[in-house]
Amino acid sequence: MILKRILLLLTVLLFAPVDGGAADGGIVIDGSTTVGPIAKSFAAYFTGRYGVPVTVSESGSGNGAKSLINGTCDIAAMSRAMKSREIAAGATKGVSPKEHVIALDGIAIVAHPSNPVPSITKAQIAAIYQGRITRWNAVGGPNARIVVIQRESNSGTQGSFRELVMGKGVKITRDAETQASNGAVKNRVSSTPGAIGFLGLGFVDSSVKVLGVNGVMPSPATIQNGSYPVSRPLYMYTDGEPKGEVKRFIGLPETVDGKRIVEELGFIAK
Amino acid sequence: MNLGTRKILDNSFTAVGMGSIVVMALALLVVLTPIVYNGVGSVFFTGTIEHRTMLYKEFGRGDAKAIETQTATADRYRAEAYRMLSDFEQEMEGMSLEASRQYRSKYAPVRAAMSSLLGPLPGDPVPMLTRFQYGQTRWEKAEEKLHNILYEKKWDYSDPTVMAKAFDVPRAEEFAGTKLAPLFSYAERHLADMMQPQFTVYWGFFTDRSLDAHIFGGIWPEIQGTFFLAIGAMLFAFPLGVIAAVYFTEYAKEGFFTSILRSANSTLAGVPSIVFGLFGLAFFINTMKVSESKSVLAGALTLAIMILPTIIRAAEEAILSVPKTYKEASLGLGSTKWNTIVTVILPAALPGIITGGIISLGRAAGETAPIIFTAAVSVGSAIGIADVFSSPTPALSWNIYNLASEHEMASEIRHVQYGMVLSLVSIVLLLNLSAILLRAKISQKLKG
Amino acid sequence: MTEEVKTDGQRSSAFVVSPQKRKMQKLAKNAGETLLLGIASFVAIIVLFIFFFVAVDAIPYFQLRGFTEFFTSTGWYPADEPGEFGALAIIYGSAMVTFGSALLAVPMGIAAAVCLSDILPFSVRQYAKPVIEMLAAIPSVAFGFFALVILAPLLQSNGGPLLMWTWWILAAPFLLLAVIVAADLLSARFAQEENRKKMALLLQSLFGLLAVLVLYVVGTKLNAIEIITGTNALNVSIILSFMALPTIVSVAEDALQSVGRELREGSYALGATRAETLLKTVLPAASSGILAAVILGIMRALGETMVVWMASGNSSHIPDPWYNYLDAVRTLTATIAGDMGEADQVTGSERYHVLFAMGLLLLVISFFSNLVSERIVVRQRKILSGQ
Repeated sequence: MILKRILLLLTVLLFAPVDGGAADGGIVIDGSTTVGPIAKSFAAYFTGRYGVPVTVSESGSGNGAKSLINGTCDIAAMSRAMKSREIAAGATKGVSPKEHVIALDGIAIVAHPSNPVPSITKAQIAAIYQGRITRWNAVGGPNARIVVIQRESNSGTQGSFRELVMGKGVKITRDAETQASNGAVKNRVSSTPGAIGFLGLGFVDSSVKVLGVNGVMPSPATIQNGSYPVSRPLYMYTDGEPKGEVKRFIGLPETVDGKRIVEELGFIAK
Repeated sequence: MNLGTRKILDNSFTAVGMGSIVVMALALLVVLTPIVYNGVGSVFFTGTIEHRTMLYKEFGRGDAKAIETQTATADRYRAEAYRMLSDFEQEMEGMSLEASRQYRSKYAPVRAAMSSLLGPLPGDPVPMLTRFQYGQTRWEKAEEKLHNILYEKKWDYSDPTVMAKAFDVPRAEEFAGTKLAPLFSYAERHLADMMQPQFTVYWGFFTDRSLDAHIFGGIWPEIQGTFFLAIGAMLFAFPLGVIAAVYFTEYAKEGFFTSILRSANSTLAGVPSIVFGLFGLAFFINTMKVSESKSVLAGALTLAIMILPTIIRAAEEAILSVPKTYKEASLGLGSTKWNTIVTVILPAALPGIITGGIISLGRAAGETAPIIFTAAVSVGSAIGIADVFSSPTPALSWNIYNLASEHEMASEIRHVQYGMVLSLVSIVLLLNLSAILLRAKISQKLKG
Repeated sequence: MTEEVKTDGQRSSAFVVSPQKRKMQKLAKNAGETLLLGIASFVAIIVLFIFFFVAVDAIPYFQLRGFTEFFTSTGWYPADEPGEFGALAIIYGSAMVTFGSALLAVPMGIAAAVCLSDILPFSVRQYAKPVIEMLAAIPSVAFGFFALVILAPLLQSNGGPLLMWTWWILAAPFLLLAVIVAADLLSARFAQEENRKKMALLLQSLFGLLAVLVLYVVGTKLNAIEIITGTNALNVSIILSFMALPTIVSVAEDALQSVGRELREGSYALGATRAETLLKTVLPAASSGILAAVILGIMRALGETMVVWMASGNSSHIPDPWYNYLDAVRTLTATIAGDMGEADQVTGSERYHVLFAMGLLLLVISFFSNLVSERIVVRQRKILSGQ
């Protein structure tokens, strides 16, 4: 009986019509977890409005770039600009990544809400992440160990953070705990009194305390006028000029609805 | 050593052994209890009117009439609260600039908390994201939000040298003397009237698609993906495994070559699961190009390789446990060897073989590491059976990881995560349980 | 043959096979057996393929960077330009959680196996086995979820008291036992026959006091520990030990079962208690099989991905001090799973290949431990059957 059923299933599977590549069936997006919420919400909106299925993988900016270059996704969502090496790699495969800025994002420096430190300087953050400052009392806080939390090295947020705060080539201390995503960083920080972490502004909620940087709190206004020092654009990349549905999708951030989605998620529309 | 001590030692030795078994049972209990308890909560819970409205609007299910009357009742009570909000907004207009600015910054969180409890407030534009279009769908969450309305959580930062302690400040005090003041006691008194809580059994959790990245809706795409992957793996591994087992038990001559083959089997059984993932990526996707990138097919093939040794071993045992007399009788009647195997030995061993198959099916359904690089995506709709050759799929195991540690609202949707874990664990354990029962039946039958 | 056909030809030809047909049958049989052999060797081919494809992608790493950095440096900065690929801390992390889980799972597993094979009556054993099977069947991601969502916060908020109670519950019975045995041994050695009971009592109360003191002091020390991060090596070790237990128990039980009744009966006949029989006769006889069980259990812990990825904290450093189980660590498996994100396969960068190098390392370790455990089992079977 069971064997028969399995055989039946097998035949069904074997003779089922094979669909073509991913792109005809819908839009495939791969990449950054920071851009993930935007991509997922755009996807839901797009599918609801135009009936085109959209799949979203959040596997990191680097993975997004790789997938685009390999032709396995239509759009790479990235929280950093593509590196020249990646563009060169794309060229060898006949892929020419085209950059689209879809939103702005501040990188918030967050601590546990019980932490009395209101604001720290960029230099102090750098020192903490290099492991030169290990206790909160060195930055005007209580005498407690700092639990440094960072992102996986394939994270665009980590790349931007290092570039913007620590300077090129300066390494994050090995003692830093590594989390796979913005959400995980938030969870760890909100449950660990001595923690410090960095995450995209869109992920911030009341479970963590945002620290001012050089006395400036991140907000749409301070990020747009550039007074908050740690912010970056978020990107989507396509292979060459986008066409058809992909073009329509990439155009979403320009539409009124798209801008509202971006803002509801806590990012800053461009 | 005196006899008494030896006896004590003997008994304590027994106790240690029993203790370890008890610890194991406890471990199982400790792991399963919260999963079952909280997982059941994803289907059976006290739902609010928002949940029913959401189901009706998004999935077209529910008793339209009942929802209408309940919404009407809820709206009556909500209108009162909304009136207080708008009264206060008007009151602020008339205040001095300084006072109004002070109140405005305190009022914003109240408004936000109200809209997160009740859904978009009147006059607000309809939010684009589904997650903001409805209020709280679960009663316990609604109570949490009520707490956020009633109290402001503050931290005592007065002494910068110690970690601050949290304390709640009733907002009613902060707004004392204004038109907003009655809102707080009103909300507390009429929460149930505004939310219309009702015991809900949401079977749709298993059969609905997810809405807005699992914030609402069910987990059907994941369940389906898990089935596709597990059954796909079985389709490849089961026939191969059974044939290999027939060879090992009936045809193989003991020798160097056979022992190498057997060694290979146990080596394969010991390979770490993540290495299967690497192999699947390097071989099926990058070399064989069975699909352009991650796909159900690539994942199923990878899983098939992983479960192959288990199937072979189980099938071998089942075949060996068929009494020799069966075979001899068949051969004695002039049947050929192959005929004997197909018509006598395999049918007799079938229950045992299937037991092994079922256990492997469970293993394939539960594994995560091999499908990370070969088949799994975090968000996607359920795929058609025709797409298995080219499309990746969400799957329970991978999405549990994804929702628990990568989702932006991971701590808000614990019930969905628990629901997924419970689904996966029950699929696997039910498969195992049926295998155990089947095996018990076989051993009884063999005993006669 | 042919004559037979001729003579019997007219009587009945139904049971007679013409030479041609016979040839065909033989051919079909050979072809069939070859096919079977082919399918059976499929597993061996897969194993070769796995080694080949993992190695093909791993070797370029060593060609590019050599061996020294990978095995001796603790600097893991794969995304930098130029990157650093020191995997020592990661290898150490893997070793640490594996050792930790073995420390918990091996004694418990062996004790449980002994209990199952020699102590429990058959009726109880029937219920204990499914428990073990269920423990083995729970998917690793469910364990990981438990470790991350339940155990980690628990360790973080109540770590000290939790450690203290565990210590008390575990250590108290053993210390009590030690007190009784020590008192008994010492009094037998130093006291006269008539004073022996009194002496034993005195020593018992003396040692008992000492034991209570030890329990208390260590307990308060543990209670004072503040666990800063709940996702740490201890958390992972505990969960991994749950996962390794079923393997250890079932393989060790098989080993114990294969020790024949005669050995046990001989020991009982000499007046040994059950514990003495088991400890001095059965366990040594089954020791190689138990060793195989331990190796397999350890491999299960070493190869596990999801639990360590979710709950180990993933910081690539050697904890300070090196035995600090309350610190976050990073393991080989978690690094492969987590870092594949960057892994740009297009340019064939070191980043991609180093992960395969880690995979190859895991593969080689698992291969050799499998080989060893298999040899051990075969040898034991030979020795036991030889006796």
